[in-house]
Amino acid sequence: MSTRSRRIRLGLLLLLGVASWQLDAGSWELAAGSSQPTAQPQFDLLIRNGHVIDARNSVDAVRDVAVAGGKIARVADKIDPALARRVVDATGLYVVPGLIDIHAHVFHGTERDAYLSNGESAVAPDPHSFRSGQTTLVDAGGAGWRNFPQFKDQVIDRARTRVLSFINIVGSGMKGGPVEQNLADMDARLTAMRIRQHPGVIVGIKVAHYTGAEWDPVTRAVAAGTDTNVPVMIDFGTHTPPQSLEDLLMKYLRPGDILTHTYAHVAGRIPIVDEQGRVRPFVLAARKRGVIFDVGHGGGSFLFRQAVPAMKQGFAPDVISTDLHTGSMNSGMKDILNTMSKFLNMGMRLQDVIKANTARAAEVIKRTDLGHIGEGAEADIAVLDVQRGTFGFIDVGGGKLAGDQKLECELTVKAGQIVWDLNGRAAPVWTDVPPPAGRK
Amino acid sequence: MSRATVLVLAALVAGAAARQTQTSAEFDFLIKGGHVIDPRNRIDAVRDVAVKDGKIAAVAQNLSPARALKAVDASGLYVTPGLVDIHVHVYPGEKRNDYAGGDWSVYPDGFTLRSCVTTVADAGSSGWRTFEDFKRRVIDQSKTRVTAFLNIVGAGMGSGPIEQNLADMEVKPTADMAMKHKGVVVGIKSAHFNGPEWSPYERAVEVGKIANIPVMVDFGGNVKAGRTILDLFTKYFRAGDIYTHMYGGVRGEQDPESKGPSQAMIEGRKRGVIFDVGHGGSSFRWSTAVPLMKAGFVPDSISTDLHTASMNAGMKDMLNVMGKFLAMGMSLEDVIVRSTWNPAKEIKLEELGHLTVGAAGDIAVLRLEKGNFGFVDPVGGRMNSTRRLSCEMTLRDGRVVYDLNGLTAERWDTLGPGARGGDPRWDYTRGRREK
Repeated sequence: MSTRSRRIRLGLLLLLGVASWQLDAGSWELAAGSSQPTAQPQFDLLIRNGHVIDARNSVDAVRDVAVAGGKIARVADKIDPALARRVVDATGLYVVPGLIDIHAHVFHGTERDAYLSNGESAVAPDPHSFRSGQTTLVDAGGAGWRNFPQFKDQVIDRARTRVLSFINIVGSGMKGGPVEQNLADMDARLTAMRIRQHPGVIVGIKVAHYTGAEWDPVTRAVAAGTDTNVPVMIDFGTHTPPQSLEDLLMKYLRPGDILTHTYAHVAGRIPIVDEQGRVRPFVLAARKRGVIFDVGHGGGSFLFRQAVPAMKQGFAPDVISTDLHTGSMNSGMKDILNTMSKFLNMGMRLQDVIKANTARAAEVIKRTDLGHIGEGAEADIAVLDVQRGTFGFIDVGGGKLAGDQKLECELTVKAGQIVWDLNGRAAPVWTDVPPPAGRK
Repeated sequence: MSRATVLVLAALVAGAAARQTQTSAEFDFLIKGGHVIDPRNRIDAVRDVAVKDGKIAAVAQNLSPARALKAVDASGLYVTPGLVDIHVHVYPGEKRNDYAGGDWSVYPDGFTLRSCVTTVADAGSSGWRTFEDFKRRVIDQSKTRVTAFLNIVGAGMGSGPIEQNLADMEVKPTADMAMKHKGVVVGIKSAHFNGPEWSPYERAVEVGKIANIPVMVDFGGNVKAGRTILDLFTKYFRAGDIYTHMYGGVRGEQDPESKGPSQAMIEGRKRGVIFDVGHGGSSFRWSTAVPLMKAGFVPDSISTDLHTASMNAGMKDMLNVMGKFLAMGMSLEDVIVRSTWNPAKEIKLEELGHLTVGAAGDIAVLRLEKGNFGFVDPVGGRMNSTRRLSCEMTLRDGRVVYDLNGLTAERWDTLGPGARGGDPRWDYTRGRREK
């Protein structure tokens, strides 16, 4: 094997957390993790003593979580560490289902001026997902029915992150400029056909950036969504003249459809909080009829001026998504944990913040197999630390909220494999590691 | 007039002056009260740092905030030159299993700015055939200052036979491309070569001589091929050429008995060979680094070898790699010089890596966190530590490109609904690179 390919293989081995040589030299993890030797460990991984928050299964308590064969094998008060090949002590940490971000832009590519659809404004998923505890990212309208196969080949099938898609009602996808204004390229029937080809991967339909007075983009997306039983996500704004948010929420959207950029105040969209600081009655009514409200922070769509009064009036988001792209990643948004921490510091309970991006997010995209860590579920797990200290959080206007709590990701597990381990919690002390066999 | 009255009046005057000068001020941005570590200028003390028009304008005690469009308080933080990482792979694209326009590379801005890195050198992802595509798509599009070691392989860093193709290692076109983009092409790379021939290194050095730039070598499968690092250092390298993956431990870096540095390493250092970390997916082992460090064989430069197989593993990012050296007992000052001024000198960009008045306004504002942390190596071993570095704020060419906790931000309830961040003369956190 060439040195380079050996390098890659070793890197991948570590990345995968696959303990192939660990089996050859099985002494150290016994020394590191367990009290008594065992002939045949039945679990690949055991995360001990963490506070589990799993809303779907109504768990909010200290539990041990065992993983085998990529699935959650057992969640219980005490699980014997001798039964596991690898043991992680999560005392003082929170053990939650792998986070789901329902609004990201990961259809990156090299086409010039292609914006978020095979363009360079989108980001690659794996550099951003695992270090923030995310195991599932949903691309919000990068691809349309025409270029979804390219998105799948170029990103979805190559990423280690689970990448899902809201398909754009525009056949050519979110390429910016006139491409997104072309009513002739918004075809409900063809969009629905593409969705049916990829059930569970295309989980919804996106409408965004349309500036015209017509409702057709919304009605066609809803038609395709009704046809295929998936929700529609609306980025509403930039309409000149502004369209009625009330009509959108009360007439056009179905229960289960999603308004993203909930706490934005941008040209062409009525903000949800009025000039007197009150959440508009039709917004409350829309929630009552089942419309979903998503954060979609992004580079221009989240203001404390909207969010703080809304939160004070109990109008918390259903889902706390990022709208991750190159223009938001280094600004006030940063990553999903920073975005979730904003809500923590606005008074949302940790349990509710976690639920929003796990059980609730899974419900919204109708992937209820995800977002929980019940026995038998895919072993997607995030181990989070709630740091205490003096922190600051910035909104898109440059406004700051001071806070004393911030989430940090200690460990991420995807399908049972460790894909992020900030402080080496799953690793033995280096002096206990035997030299790898077969290396000079 | 009492002293207090004078002070109040002075403050009022200063305040009025500050308001009046919002259209123009002596400084665009001022970082107050931070502990400045600027090894080139031998500063290791609390200082204020001011920038104007993208350059360092002043480093002094007690610069008045009234003299700047914007001033921030960096008390308790370290203010250093923007970090320089001379071993990364940042030429991504659609190709599979490839660093050159492929999925083994990453875009720089998602890793650098949040880690206080302002300059990177791509370590040979592109060769002369692919460099201009790399330049157009990444170098010219990134907020990070991206420079490059050109691969001696014309195609760049591909997989399999591409890097073994001696016929594609040509001196003239490589030198021509290096000369055409002087200051952006900062070196020549040879990597992953597995044959017994020395020609890749000879040719790389020949280009290096023509373009007056260093050569960086990943020595590939040298042991199996019968090439020794002693020969590399004594027969092929010039002083200033760079041996990366110095703590990889598989190419003859360690003395078989003592586990400390081999005679070859000691001889190389004597002759002026530069030793670079290049952590990567598998090129930094505690079992090599610890004994070498103990013997005083410290790196000249600390670098990441950032790519998709290292980013989520033991490497993670520049600050994590720097944290490993803190964990091994290196002082913060020694870590900083190896992540700023040393690497800048190595790639002959001596206008970078320091905070001299007139230098590029590339600045890192770092926090030294205390707590219980762990750092893993590629074979899965952890070293415990009580310190780690985090990045509070990053400036590139005098403008803020990252602000973790809102040092620059105003209280949200003091801003109107139309506010959209700070003055563009200092705030560059939003959006992609301006065209």
